[in-house]
Amino acid sequence: MELLSGEARKWLRGAPFYVMLSVATAITLVPIIWVFASALKSNKEIRENPLALPGEWRFQNYIDAWFGASFDAYFFNSIFITVTSVAIVLVLSSLAAYAFAKMRFPGNQLIFFIFLVGMAFPLSAKLGPLLSLMYELNLANSRFGLILVYVGGSLPFAILMLRAFFQGFPQELEDSAALDGCSRFQFYLRILLPLSKPSLMALGIFVFMGTWNEFFQALLLINEDGKRTLPLGLTAFQDEYFTDFALSFAGINITAVPVIIVYILFQRNLIEGITVGSIK
Amino acid sequence: MAQRLSAGGNRGRSPRFRIDLMPYVFILPAVVIYVVFNLGPVLASFALSFFRWDLLAPTTEFIGLKHYDYILNDNRFWNALSHNFIFLGLAVVIPVTMGLFLAVFIYEIRRGRVFFRAALFLPAIFSGVVIAYVWKWIYHSFAGVLNAALEAFGLGAFTQLWLGNPNLALYSTFVAYTWASFGYSMVIFLAGLQDIPTDIFDAARVDGANFRQKLFRIVIPCLYDVFTFVITLRIFTAMGVFGVIYILTGGGPFYASDVIDIYVFRMIGNFEMGWATAAATVNTLIVVCLSTGFIKWRERRSWSS
Repeated sequence: MELLSGEARKWLRGAPFYVMLSVATAITLVPIIWVFASALKSNKEIRENPLALPGEWRFQNYIDAWFGASFDAYFFNSIFITVTSVAIVLVLSSLAAYAFAKMRFPGNQLIFFIFLVGMAFPLSAKLGPLLSLMYELNLANSRFGLILVYVGGSLPFAILMLRAFFQGFPQELEDSAALDGCSRFQFYLRILLPLSKPSLMALGIFVFMGTWNEFFQALLLINEDGKRTLPLGLTAFQDEYFTDFALSFAGINITAVPVIIVYILFQRNLIEGITVGSIK
Repeated sequence: MAQRLSAGGNRGRSPRFRIDLMPYVFILPAVVIYVVFNLGPVLASFALSFFRWDLLAPTTEFIGLKHYDYILNDNRFWNALSHNFIFLGLAVVIPVTMGLFLAVFIYEIRRGRVFFRAALFLPAIFSGVVIAYVWKWIYHSFAGVLNAALEAFGLGAFTQLWLGNPNLALYSTFVAYTWASFGYSMVIFLAGLQDIPTDIFDAARVDGANFRQKLFRIVIPCLYDVFTFVITLRIFTAMGVFGVIYILTGGGPFYASDVIDIYVFRMIGNFEMGWATAAATVNTLIVVCLSTGFIKWRERRSWSS
């Protein structure tokens, strides 16, 4: 061992870890790579040799898949519903979390607790009456209705996270702002929000991913093709094209790519959103 | 007291005899949407499970435990619930253990931390729908990568109808669930590891502690609360698993991979709202008891030790 330099010895000590991590990485990446590769093959190639790489890259599969279903509508719906939901969640949760974190009022603890209770229920706990309610309010089969459901679902976690963050703000900041004649709303708008940008970003990406990927409630509430979100649209597409292998793979990728792009751009914010909510 | 005055925001006015309405203005919009579209339906589901339903609309006819009598005598209800428990038993062990070890490995290496964390977490970013379709193709009888790979390695005898075999279907869906779950546990464990003061590890190195000693004497005890959180999360996801199974098998073949949320969804689809709300209420009670019981148990143990 003395023959090896300290640097090499350190590397050798780490080698088993690299081996294990590489095996695990293969398990996560190979299926994804395989799905992307298969989307470029012909049906015949897939049928005859599922493991082989595409002979020629048939990007036409993507075009056929895109026009095989209303993917443009699904895309628009997903973007519209997700972006609107995230925006509403950020505004409402930051307002409420500010009150819970920094204001004294009768019911503060109780109402906050009632929000927390919302995180303890499984999704199926509300589905029946939710469906009746949405029909009653004429919000079933409506993008706007789905937004309200998503916002209601995300608020408990969002308020919990932002309240914890706002509680860390020094009281002196608010006191001196008050002395300068700054109202509480002005303080919220001009000081609290700008200083909370990283947390709002992490929360926003976290809520974005959850909303973009949501399936169960969309399946329950939306039954018109033109109003489907991407996950819902993908199921409709797959039902129709499951025997058309290559298009089926391309459809999966059309749904997966936007999430991968957001993940590459905002990976750190997303993981922060997950871990901040859990550790602290 | 000065702090209290400014926190109450009643600058110069008597704080005692005047109710400050501002905080309520701040929380009101969130409360309304949360109560109407989340908490309200949950409470209504519980309350209305004791009433007769007329298709999608509840009636005022109180029928007591009749819906519960039906579902508790329905073999398919217990069949679905038992599958959730199998899922739960596997989920609190397999993705959690994988996540812990991978987090420790990433913590131990010097180069490539960001890459491995990103790559191992990747499946967790997808919708259950995407995960399910990826695995539907992996499991495909002749165009799937799994059977093709078994053939290629001369293990053709082991090829299976992974989703069509009633003895395997539930476990096949569990593999897809695990593929997308262990990365989630991993990033939480990794964040917990990075919160452990490094001088503990330095001291352990000076004392010549090996990997196993560090794992059992430092990492696992220090991550006590993180374990509680990660396992609680698995309780929720295992008891509420839906999308992956709904797409991979639809609960089949012959209800072999049916779970509670699919059972409830099927009831709603059949306009059997009474049964659906009763089944959902039983499931909710189980989830709430399991999760709060588990958390309480962990808290008590951490104080007594």
